[in-house]
Amino acid sequence: MAAGVAAWLPFARAAAIGWMPVASAPMPLAPREKRRTQDGFIIINVSGTKFQTWRSTLERYPDTLLGSTEKDFFFNEEINEYFFDRDPDIFRHILNFYRTGKLHYPRHECISAYDEELSFFGIIPEIIGDCCYEEYKDRRRENAERIQDDADDENNKEGVMPDMTLRQSMWRAFENPHTSTLALVFYYVTGFFIAVSVIANVVETVPCRASPGMIKDLPCGERYALAFFCLDTACVMIFTVEYLLRLIAAPSRYRFVRSVMSIIDVVAIMPYYIGLVMTDNEDVSGAFVTLRVFRVFRIFKFSRHSQGLRILGYTLKSCASELGFLLFSLTMAIIIFATVMFYAEKGSTASKFTSIPAAFWYTIVTMTTLGYGDMVPKTIVGKIVGSVCSLSGVLVIALPVPVIVSNFSRIYHQNQRADKRRAQKKARLARIRVAKSGSANAYMQSKHNGLLTDSPEQASKEAGQAFLSKTNLSFEKEHHHLLHCLEKTTNHEFVDEETYEKNCMEVSSVNPPGSRCSSISSQHGLTSTCCSRRNKKTFRLPNSNMSGSHAGSLQELSTIQIRERPLISNSRSSLNAKMEDTVQRNSEHPYVTSAIISIRTPPVTSREGNNTSDSPDYSQRNIVKVSAL
Amino acid sequence: MKGKNRKQNLSDAREVDGSYDQLTGNPPSHNKKTIKQRFLRLLSCCQPSPIPTVSECNTEDDFELSTVCYRPEGLDKLQEQTKFTKKELQVLYRGFKNECPSGVVNEETFKLIYSQFFPQGDSSTYAHFLFDAFDTDKNGSISFEDFVMGLSIILRGTINDRLNWAFNLYDLNKDGCITKEEMIAIMKSIYDMMGKCTSPCMQDDTHREHVESFFQKMDRNNDGVVTIEEFIESCQKDENIMRSMQLFDNVI
Repeated sequence: MAAGVAAWLPFARAAAIGWMPVASAPMPLAPREKRRTQDGFIIINVSGTKFQTWRSTLERYPDTLLGSTEKDFFFNEEINEYFFDRDPDIFRHILNFYRTGKLHYPRHECISAYDEELSFFGIIPEIIGDCCYEEYKDRRRENAERIQDDADDENNKEGVMPDMTLRQSMWRAFENPHTSTLALVFYYVTGFFIAVSVIANVVETVPCRASPGMIKDLPCGERYALAFFCLDTACVMIFTVEYLLRLIAAPSRYRFVRSVMSIIDVVAIMPYYIGLVMTDNEDVSGAFVTLRVFRVFRIFKFSRHSQGLRILGYTLKSCASELGFLLFSLTMAIIIFATVMFYAEKGSTASKFTSIPAAFWYTIVTMTTLGYGDMVPKTIVGKIVGSVCSLSGVLVIALPVPVIVSNFSRIYHQNQRADKRRAQKKARLARIRVAKSGSANAYMQSKHNGLLTDSPEQASKEAGQAFLSKTNLSFEKEHHHLLHCLEKTTNHEFVDEETYEKNCMEVSSVNPPGSRCSSISSQHGLTSTCCSRRNKKTFRLPNSNMSGSHAGSLQELSTIQIRERPLISNSRSSLNAKMEDTVQRNSEHPYVTSAIISIRTPPVTSREGNNTSDSPDYSQRNIVKVSAL
Repeated sequence: MKGKNRKQNLSDAREVDGSYDQLTGNPPSHNKKTIKQRFLRLLSCCQPSPIPTVSECNTEDDFELSTVCYRPEGLDKLQEQTKFTKKELQVLYRGFKNECPSGVVNEETFKLIYSQFFPQGDSSTYAHFLFDAFDTDKNGSISFEDFVMGLSIILRGTINDRLNWAFNLYDLNKDGCITKEEMIAIMKSIYDMMGKCTSPCMQDDTHREHVESFFQKMDRNNDGVVTIEEFIESCQKDENIMRSMQLFDNVI
């Protein structure tokens, strides 16, 4: 921002001497200025701690409290100082911002206290320097989460809301069993039946004593088939009822059906119904047996009851790539060793290594140091390969596993941080670009204002101009004069992007290619400036340096903050309005201080005033007003 | 404890994930730095002692290159050499030192500072020419004396002095005359500062035509170069230029 290097402005203006001899047009007049040699001290008393600085230091940022006339409200004549009843420790950082142009966040300060100070002094936190910005954002997020958690707890602690429907209360009961005794009872009952069902599945395969009259030992499931069938029926009925109740109570049925837990529920109860439907046909009984295997999925229903299981599942899902890599490297090693083993053992007689896939089993067993011994190499080469295999198995498996386990949490957090940094970087670059375009746009805006004074206009505009000159700062005037000189030197004008593109499009459509576009577009430019004079706003925002949101070319978010300026309403919605209207409107909203985030504005709001017949509907501007910080 | 783990984790991760390019920042190559440091120390021994009025202080760190800071001559001496008052010199120095705490500006910082005034265009070429014009002793950096001498001529000199300085700026190779190529380079750098979005649209040869008209005006004997006499003479005849030169009286 040019304000940061305000001290170098005289140099930049002196450097303009290089343009003078080559200028194709006469230079504009220099701004009238009072001798600025009286750059006095200003003493700021913050709760007794005195800070002293140059007046011009504070004037660098005219859209903050200290840089504008707002500080006059805090001037105390008795002590002849500006007195603020605020925290002096935090004020130190704020004052340093004026001095160095960089805002730092002290790590030991409370984030909410800091935010409050920033908003009091009118400084938007987005300009915190890179060194402290990440920490600031982290703390803000933690704080916001904490507040959110507190709010959620409040919501949960309070009893049933009076106007909650039965469906909503049912859903709440299902999701948070601790809310009511009925939900708790339901929770424990389902848990009990899940356990019963799983145990029944397990026990029915245990061989029971044979019934009298039979020789063979039967599994209990076949001996007490009826009992187990009744148990299974009861469990499945409970599960079905539970599933249907959840389905009814779910706020979004489609999403519920797609969720993992509901799929587990369905898989748990489906085999029973399929078994009922299917007859005791010999052909399909094989498939039926397979289906019974799925009954074991009922154990996953416990994950509703156990937080730990859910976390484990989520962790596995998020580290799937690392697990995949482990699997891939293991597969590579297995294939290599199995191949070598097969060819090494090919010669020996009665070798169990009948094929490479058969050797896979040996390799896996050896690498995981299981060593069942059902397949052993007999040749010397085979034994050498086998020993190398088991040694490398120790390395390949034992080493990465703890590394990967710890990598889970580490890489997961790092990914999050990297994404955050990347996202912030994009946003940061966007902000820098916006600030740059902001200062350029400020110039073009004031250019139109300056043009006004050259030609006769309505009295109301002059009145606005007169007011405006009070808020104009000499730094900005000089900067704009500098840019104006550059324009005169090159006989071209600065425009904003969409006017430029519009001009180029018109040129390409109207002119044959190759001819100069200056003639027509300068004509157009002339008409546009004529027309724009009527449309453009009669005063400019005092903080147009920081705003940058005025051009339709704004691609990203920017924040502007409006201080209490009696004549300026809460946005540029007064662009087309006459003076009287704005005065009226402003009397209704005398004090607006809020951080405004303006999203990409429609191009029609460009200050070049494309058509006079257009009256842009500013009420439709998508300006989102958010509370300061 | 937590902080230590985090730092360690970061460095571990860098080694583990070679392709993890989000973790930017090359580890400091200690070997290179110490060699460079040693070389610099050797060089400073071999150099002849600098101008007695400029004092040099070396602050050496383990991590950084030795930083050199220059202190300018006394306020009184500068006041004699330039036409600024004491107060003006104070203001100038404060601004200068704020941006360049080491006391000298190198070309990068110079370009950076200048570019902040021209957000729409690319001012680096013009800044380079300015740097060459200010850096009278051609040592690659502008000290406060160079800075204030240049400013004194531009802001407090006579019109002839200013024209001389401008001529010096245009004459890139300092051979006493401005050729067309030099002028084209200068003109292009000025037009670059305007950037892309201008009205009317910027053509590729706009600056060349501008150079043609400039030469027609300045080059009296049509020999393809503009000498200092032709330059001053033509400028004095042009009212616009004369008037624009007076703009600089009130800059500070």
